[in-house]
Amino acid sequence: MALQIRIPKLGLTMLDAVLVRWMVETGQPVILEQSLCVIETDKVTYEVPSPGDGLLLPVIAPGRRMAVGALIGYVAEDDTELAALIKQHGTVDTTREKPVAQSDGVSPPERKAEAGAPRKPAGRIKASPAARRWCKEHGVALGTIPGSGPEGRVILSDVKKVMEEKATETTGSIYEMEKAPEGSDVLAAAEEIPIQGIRKRIFQNMHLSLTRQAQLTLHTEASAHAMTALRRLLNDRMKTDAVPVSYNAVIVKAAARALRDHPRLNASVDGRKIKLWKQIHIGVAMDFGQGLLVPKIRHADRKSIRGISAEIQDVARRIAEKKLLPDELLHGTFTVTNLGAWETDHFTPIVNFPESAILGVGRIVEKPWVRDHAVVAEERMALSLTFDHRVIDGAAAAAFLKTVKDMIEEPGLML
Amino acid sequence: MALAKQEYLALYRTMVTIRQFETLAGELFSAGKIPGFIHLSIGQEASAAGVCACLRKDDYITTTHRGHGHMIAKGADLKRMAAELFGKKTGYCRGKGGSMHIADFSLGILGANGVVAGGLPIGVGAGVSIKMRKTDQVAVCFFGDGAANRGPVHEAMNLASIWKLPVIFVIENNRYASTTPQQYACSVNDLCLRAAGYGMPGTAVDGNSVLDVYAAAAEAVQRARNGEGPALIENKTYRIRGHFEGDPQKYREKFEVDAWEKEKDPIERFDAFLKKKKFLTKKHREEIWNQVNEKLKEAVAFAEESPFPEPEEAIEDLTANP
Amino acid sequence: MTSDRMLSCSAALAEALHEEMTRDETVFVLGEDLTAHAGIFGQFKGIPEAFPGRILDTPISESAIAGVGVGSALTGMRPFVDLHFSDFVTCCMDEIANQAAKIRYMSGGQVNVPLVIWCPDGAGLRAAAQHSQSLEAWFVHIPGLKVVVPSEPADVKGLVKSAIRDDDPVMVFQHKKLFAKEGPVPEGEHLIPLGKAAVKRPGKDVTLICYGMAYYLCEEAARCLEEKKIDAEVIDLRTLKPLDMATISESVQKTNRAVIVHEACRTGGFGAELASRIMEDVFDYLDAPVKRVAAKDVPVPFSPPLEDAVLPGVADVIDAVLEAAYR
Repeated sequence: MALQIRIPKLGLTMLDAVLVRWMVETGQPVILEQSLCVIETDKVTYEVPSPGDGLLLPVIAPGRRMAVGALIGYVAEDDTELAALIKQHGTVDTTREKPVAQSDGVSPPERKAEAGAPRKPAGRIKASPAARRWCKEHGVALGTIPGSGPEGRVILSDVKKVMEEKATETTGSIYEMEKAPEGSDVLAAAEEIPIQGIRKRIFQNMHLSLTRQAQLTLHTEASAHAMTALRRLLNDRMKTDAVPVSYNAVIVKAAARALRDHPRLNASVDGRKIKLWKQIHIGVAMDFGQGLLVPKIRHADRKSIRGISAEIQDVARRIAEKKLLPDELLHGTFTVTNLGAWETDHFTPIVNFPESAILGVGRIVEKPWVRDHAVVAEERMALSLTFDHRVIDGAAAAAFLKTVKDMIEEPGLML
Repeated sequence: MALAKQEYLALYRTMVTIRQFETLAGELFSAGKIPGFIHLSIGQEASAAGVCACLRKDDYITTTHRGHGHMIAKGADLKRMAAELFGKKTGYCRGKGGSMHIADFSLGILGANGVVAGGLPIGVGAGVSIKMRKTDQVAVCFFGDGAANRGPVHEAMNLASIWKLPVIFVIENNRYASTTPQQYACSVNDLCLRAAGYGMPGTAVDGNSVLDVYAAAAEAVQRARNGEGPALIENKTYRIRGHFEGDPQKYREKFEVDAWEKEKDPIERFDAFLKKKKFLTKKHREEIWNQVNEKLKEAVAFAEESPFPEPEEAIEDLTANP
Repeated sequence: MTSDRMLSCSAALAEALHEEMTRDETVFVLGEDLTAHAGIFGQFKGIPEAFPGRILDTPISESAIAGVGVGSALTGMRPFVDLHFSDFVTCCMDEIANQAAKIRYMSGGQVNVPLVIWCPDGAGLRAAAQHSQSLEAWFVHIPGLKVVVPSEPADVKGLVKSAIRDDDPVMVFQHKKLFAKEGPVPEGEHLIPLGKAAVKRPGKDVTLICYGMAYYLCEEAARCLEEKKIDAEVIDLRTLKPLDMATISESVQKTNRAVIVHEACRTGGFGAELASRIMEDVFDYLDAPVKRVAAKDVPVPFSPPLEDAVLPGVADVIDAVLEAAYR
């Protein structure tokens, strides 16, 4: 989807500005924040930064005076979009330049295009075949890479450089520690773990999650009494060889059921949109010493607690046997993570990017609670909901958490 | 020099076959059945028949773009010849050569040639091969009055001479090289005179008398087989048809053609000879002509029924191995 | 195990001929001025004595010489024709192009033409235009011919032996300056198959493709490029037709850039065909346009500074590599 370039409001009293010149030619690749054009107000000269990565299409020629907020160009996603936009809007002569500091409204004589300068066909990115192939294989937009070859040709070294930068970016910047002097045993690695495979993915995911989203955590507690009773009931009635229903199964079901009523928590940011998913796929965080894995229980809202429990057990078995399919780890909409086994109560889980919310579950512990003005011993369980405040507002998140708590305390509400 | 009756009749049959094949080929070409172009040797049958009758199966010949007669005289299969002219895959060259490059290497026919005089260096090469392998084979190079002026002829004859190769050079002087008269193009009228320049015997022969041709050729072949080296024979003949079928022939007078056709036809002359010697009855003569025509009819039917080569075959046969 | 002795190219040729003529009595040699000094470069040393009657001195008659090659090849022999200088091939083009190359095809596969035509070629000897050409591209363009260009003595021996045993007409071009050049040559049955290139110097940054004299330019250039931290892979084609595209493709896929070097002049040279093939086969692996280093498009001039200006040199190869590597 093309990004729009508009005249920014640079001051309270600013009404308009003159487009002095374009700094990049039509069809050339640009990246986020790159200076695209120079505008001039009665007070300042300013370089307008690019709203994103893509191919530049100026639609207003230099010399024009435009109002604040007026559209002056587009940043197209790719060649196809660029061509479509050109068809719609045409192109402008970007070789002209309005001399700066001419405020009497007289337009200067047109500066002729340099004789012999070839008119570049709009939309064509110059790149070597090898560079193109690399980009295709690694899913990198060719237009986002600055070319250092002749006439701006993107060559392999340009692509590889960007790839390296991206790689260091997503693994959280390569940071090299200051080393202890040679031979000393002040600080030496007992073990070195390369950042690759699952670990690399976790690096990327965690970093992305915390740098892109605006996360905060709501904490509450639920009475675990009804849940434990339900569990006992289900297990008593089960066949003797069946595996008992787990607490997680009840919690997953409650969360899934609650998401039906609070669809905003079952969403992701995709490009320029927030997508509220049709399906509810709950990821259950599992760690069996091989690293964190989050297989998905698909359509958890439609499954029975027993069904969910059996599925969780089966997944755990297959993880142990290393028979988990990669597809089971993809396309989740919400995650449940339970640290109760390690006697954790409240904690601040990190959202499983690109989802928008995650429910952390603590241990079930008998503790004093006040009921009907009296202190009683009651089984209680901490619930911690971290959510992306860009997508979900505080009240909405709190309302969802309350629904989950209610369903855990009154399982009948899940029906 | 006397031959056995059978040998005379064989000569006759050969000439009739050539005559009929060429005539039929001309008709088929006019009817659009033969692609490309063809060059007919009607009127020159005696030269082909007379020379080739002296040769063994393992002797070599090279011929020209006008090579059907030599092919037939050396014993080529009429079906495969016809099929090749039609461009069918059952032809001698699987449709790849056509009239101008037709060949049967198993009969020692090292091919017709689309390049005038192209066969001479090759024929001399065969002569070198014969000498190195120490056999008593010979090689005959047919060429015309036009070819006689090309450089490679000079080189070939000189080399054959200094190395005493068993090569017989047979010029079929049919008076015209395409549209150019021999008297205009050649430094001497009797091309056999050039032999002297190469230190080899040169003989002019009435090329339309098959027996004269035979006699001269037999002598030269024997010489060569004996290791006495090359010779040049000039068979003086006449090309009745145009250079190629469809030639408007503006370069010569019709009366000239008519004279040769009516008065000096080699087959008619031999007919007369055989009649005089009582070697050929009227009935037998008719039989021979009918048999020849039958065989040709079969050959044409075979060619017409045969399939064209598949397009994929176009890239086959280029090299022995990739 | 065979040991490698140091032999010149001319000695390597003599050895190859000697071995093949011993092995097969149908192999014979013909050409001008072969026996008096055993060839003007001594390349037939020992042959006249060892094989009397099988090495023939001819008059100056290229048509007849080449034609004898064709005719004898058609009738049971395996001739080795020495054309003396490749420039004279023009005097027998009909015999080579219209006869030798085409007879097998035109006859529908009735016969083979097991002919070898040996053409010393190349410039740099101040022999001027009519004695300095590199004409291999002409013959690559004629279907039915094979074209071989050895550079080192071992290649001369191995390729000539294979060419003689090949049942098709093979043009062999060896640079005149290389007759005296020495190199290791294996003893005994050393055969190099036609159609197989050799990676004579493995590398990973650029593919230098060459043949004949240009091989030596590339080797030298590769040494100089090492200092600039460019690791060049040098491929000596050895045979131009049939062409070993597999080796070239593999290399370019690794290095992403190709520079073709030949002494023949640039326009319509073999490099043009090769560059096209590379573009067709490994387009997506090219990081830069394929470059050609070749002689200028003029007849080779006589005067030394002029000839040197026309012919490609090591500096030209280095420049081309730097351009392809965006340095």
